[in-house]
Order: sequence, then structure tokens, then C-alpha cells
Amino acid sequence: MNSTARTTLATSAIALLSIFALLPFYIMIVMGTYQNEDLFQRIVLIPGHYLWENLKTVAASRFDLVYWNSLIVSVASTLLSVFVSAFAGFAFAKHEFKYKNKIFGAVLLTMMIPGQLGLVAYVIEMRYLGVSGTLLPLIMPWIANAFGVFWMTQFMKGAIPTEVLESARMDGCSDIGVFFRIVLAFIYPAITTLSLLVFLWSWNNYLLPLIIINKPELYTIPLGITSLGNAYRTDLAAQILGLTLGTIPVLILFAFGSKSFIRGLTAGSVKG
Amino acid sequence: MNTAKRKWVPYFFLSPYLLFYVVLGLIPIVFSFYVSLTNWDGISGKTFVGLSNYKFLFNPDSYFFQSVGNTLLFIAMTLPLQIIFGLAIASLLYSQFVKWKAFFQLINFLPYIVTPVAVGLMFNLLFDWQAGFVNKVLLHFGLIEEGIYWLGDPVYARMIIVLMLFWKGFGYTMIFFLAGLANIPKDLNEAAQVDGASGFRSFWSITLPLLKPVMTFIIITGIIGGFQLLEEPMLLLGGSGMGSSSAVIGGPERCCLTTVWNMYDTAYGSTTRYGLGAAIAYGLCVIIAIFSFIGVRLQRGDQE
Repeated sequence: MNSTARTTLATSAIALLSIFALLPFYIMIVMGTYQNEDLFQRIVLIPGHYLWENLKTVAASRFDLVYWNSLIVSVASTLLSVFVSAFAGFAFAKHEFKYKNKIFGAVLLTMMIPGQLGLVAYVIEMRYLGVSGTLLPLIMPWIANAFGVFWMTQFMKGAIPTEVLESARMDGCSDIGVFFRIVLAFIYPAITTLSLLVFLWSWNNYLLPLIIINKPELYTIPLGITSLGNAYRTDLAAQILGLTLGTIPVLILFAFGSKSFIRGLTAGSVKG
Repeated sequence: MNTAKRKWVPYFFLSPYLLFYVVLGLIPIVFSFYVSLTNWDGISGKTFVGLSNYKFLFNPDSYFFQSVGNTLLFIAMTLPLQIIFGLAIASLLYSQFVKWKAFFQLINFLPYIVTPVAVGLMFNLLFDWQAGFVNKVLLHFGLIEEGIYWLGDPVYARMIIVLMLFWKGFGYTMIFFLAGLANIPKDLNEAAQVDGASGFRSFWSITLPLLKPVMTFIIITGIIGGFQLLEEPMLLLGGSGMGSSSAVIGGPERCCLTTVWNMYDTAYGSTTRYGLGAAIAYGLCVIIAIFSFIGVRLQRGDQE
């Protein structure tokens, strides 16, 4: 088999799988452009003309507010998580201190613990602190993110030459200065990758908001979509459009970030 | 540079993480254990009941072991599929025979980033017996006489969950295999080619063994992540999911009740038994610990 034939064969194999990956999206998008009754009567394959009407139905449920809440939660979670993880990773990767290996072992162990373990008490703690009527309980769990610390430590071990840190200190740069001026510049790929992952996970988080958020004005996207289902049980088309709208921001984010996301993974901790 | 002065530096960088971990992670985990030893509905006072919540997990009425079994079944059926397909696509994408690599990478990764809630609802719509796309297509081509009640049958419902999880996850394993392939030195395969090894042979004897760390990473995170399964089956079978009483919790004959769904339903759904809910969470943790322990032992055994 010559190489042109191989190229055609391999590319068509991938293309076929891509259709499998895309088909549910396509059906979802198309269904959102039809009138509800049409969905029950026939197979819809090309976009319909009812998009604007469905958009109005979705807008009537204050979906913009839901968007805004999700954005606040995800951006805050990402910034705090990446910052705190990078701080801790710097200590583990580039400093010596007592019980370092034991503490790092404890961090690895917490990665194995399912997030639901402390859930019952976390909800009570938030009520006790008086923040359960705000978005804070959805942001805070991401601040102490064991996966982030592990990720940053592994990356920094390989990516930052110790000599550069030493010479900066010789020149009289403070340790905090070293972190912000030098370390951050070296770990740019790790920051991108971790940011995308934390943003994605917090954007998609469902269980915690489901338990802790009881005011519709604080709903995030996953809750907003399910409540669209409740309010418009009969209007399937509007609900499907809501699904599509809730998916778009992360699609855009990964469409633009996927190159540096993969580069960060490659350079990062999969080395084992 | 004064070394005595710099001793606090690592602790300074470590302190935000440790502080927040203690307040937001450790304290709830310890307090949840205390809750698991009590009978509590969140309103009236707690009564200390010792280990009786844990004993109740062994009672079939708690659905604990049934839900663990369901979850394990989903992991055992989905993970191998995801690994085989993820590796196959990654190898194809990494070879020189595929065009538009970045484009195909993104497309196949897209399902992973969709909100799990949306995935559940999407498949709920596709397999709806009345308005569902799948039934309509099958009817159109005359393959079936009348719509199949996909979500009302235990075997079909489980099949759909496996399909859904596979669809969602194969791109994720693909990305990690791609990252792993990029870390394998190119000259190893070139040397093998010079020595006359076939493409298949060098894949089997060079690439695959070198991908072992990635494989371990995917299997361990896959099992841990798999045990957290909740949204997709909940939305697939419950529709709205918000404590809807119309659907049986866990689908037909509770065949798709996952452990976390069971915990949610016990503590916040059809009952408010916080103590039992916390005990389910701890029971799950013990099971994950056993699997992690076996995994680590197997890995060590290989190295020796």
C-alpha cells in the first residue's frame, strides 16, 4: 500500500469516528430550531425556522442570569485554584523543608478521596458560616485542589532551572518577587492546561449546586438547564436550545485553547 | 542571603493550600464521619447510633452493594472501550498518515467538555420512545414495528449508559495517549525500522510498553472518576432529575443506580437521612481505597 492510499484510509477512519462524536451535537442543534410539535412528528435533519421563537422562550427564563452566575463561579474558581496550586507547587518542587515528602504524600492521598466524602458536613458548614445563600460555596472547594498542586509540582520540577532562581536571589530579588517575575513565566503551559480543566470542571459541576443552591437567581448552567426542563416540560425544543446555549462557552474556550492545552499536557505530568 | 531568615519561605508558599484544605476539606471529612455515626434528618437533634448505619449498608434495602455493583459494571464495560479506541485514534493521529490533525483532535475531544447534565438529557432525547431520533430512524427503515421502550428496560438502559459514557470519554483518553506518544523518543522507532521491524511489531514491543505510565494514569483516574458517576444516568433516566418523583430512582429495577446517586437520594432526595448518606460516602471511599491499593500493588509487582 502506498502512502497516499494510507493517508486516505487513515483520514477516512478518523473522519468516520468524528461523525460519531459530532452526531448527537448536530441533532441537538437542529432540534433546537424547530417547533415543539414537529419534533414528535418527523425526523429533523436540516435546521428549521423556529430558532428565534425558541430563543425568546429561553430568554424569558432569565437564562442570562444563569450564564452570569456560572461565569463568576468558574472564573473565580479557576483563578484561585491555579494561584494557590502554583504557590504550593513551588514549595514542593523548588524548596527543601521538614516532612516534605510526607506532606506531598498526603496531597497525593487526598487526590484519591472522592469529593463526596465530606459533602454532608460541607453543606452544614456553609450554612453555619452563613454563606449558603451566595455563590461562595461553589467557588471555595476549588481553592484547595490537590490535583492542581500535584500538577504544578510535577511541572515545576522539570520546567524551572534552579540556577535561574538562585541568580535572581543573588541579585536581591525577594522570594515573592521570584515567584511572580520568574516562576510564573516558566510555568505558562501548566497554567493554561490547569485553568482550562478547572474552568471546565466547575462550569459542569452539578451535585453541589443541586444540594446547596435553592434560589433560582443563583442557579448555574447545569441547574438552569434542568429547571428549563421543569418549567417547559412540554416545550422540548426550548429545552434543547438551552442545552446548546449552555455548551457553547466551553466549546469556544477549548476551540481556542486546545493547542496550548495539549502542549501543556505533553510537557507536563504524563511522563510518569 | 540569610538562610535562617529563609526557612519560613516554603511554609509561606504552602500555607494558603494547607489552610484552605483544613477548613474546606479536612474538617468536613472528619465531621461527616461523626455524622455517619448518628441518625439525623438535619432538623431534629442528632442521636448517636454507633456503627448501625454501616451495618445497614449490608441490608439490601440500602441498595448500597447493588449501586456499587452497577457502578463497577459501568466502569468495567466502558474503560476498556475507551482505552482501545482512544489509543487507536491517538496512534492514527500521531502517524504521518492523517491530515488536519488539530481539527480531528478537537472534534473527538468535544464530547468530554459537554456538561454531564446536557449529555444525560441529550441521550434521553435521542432514545425517547416517542420523540426519540433513534426510534424514528429505526421505524423509518422498517427495522422495528413499533418504538422500543429503551429507557424502560434494564438491559437497554444499561447499554445506553455504556454507549453514552463511551461517547463522552474516548476523546479524553485519546488526548492523554497523544501526550504520551509525543514523549516517546522518535529514534527508538526509527532504529526498529532500520532493523526491519514491522510497524505493528514496533508498536507492540516499543510504543505500548513506553505508554505504560499513561495507561496507569488513565486506569486509576478512570476508576476514581467512574465511581463518582451521577449526572449522566440521573438525567438520562430521571429527565429533570430535581427530585422528580415520577421516575423510579435508578431506572428500571434500579439497574442504573450509581453509588453517588444512591448517596444523593438518601441524604437529599427521597429521604433526608444525613447519617446514612454520610455512611454511603464512607463506604464508597473504602471501596475506592481497596481498588487503589490493588492498583498500586499490581504496579509494584510489575516493577520487581
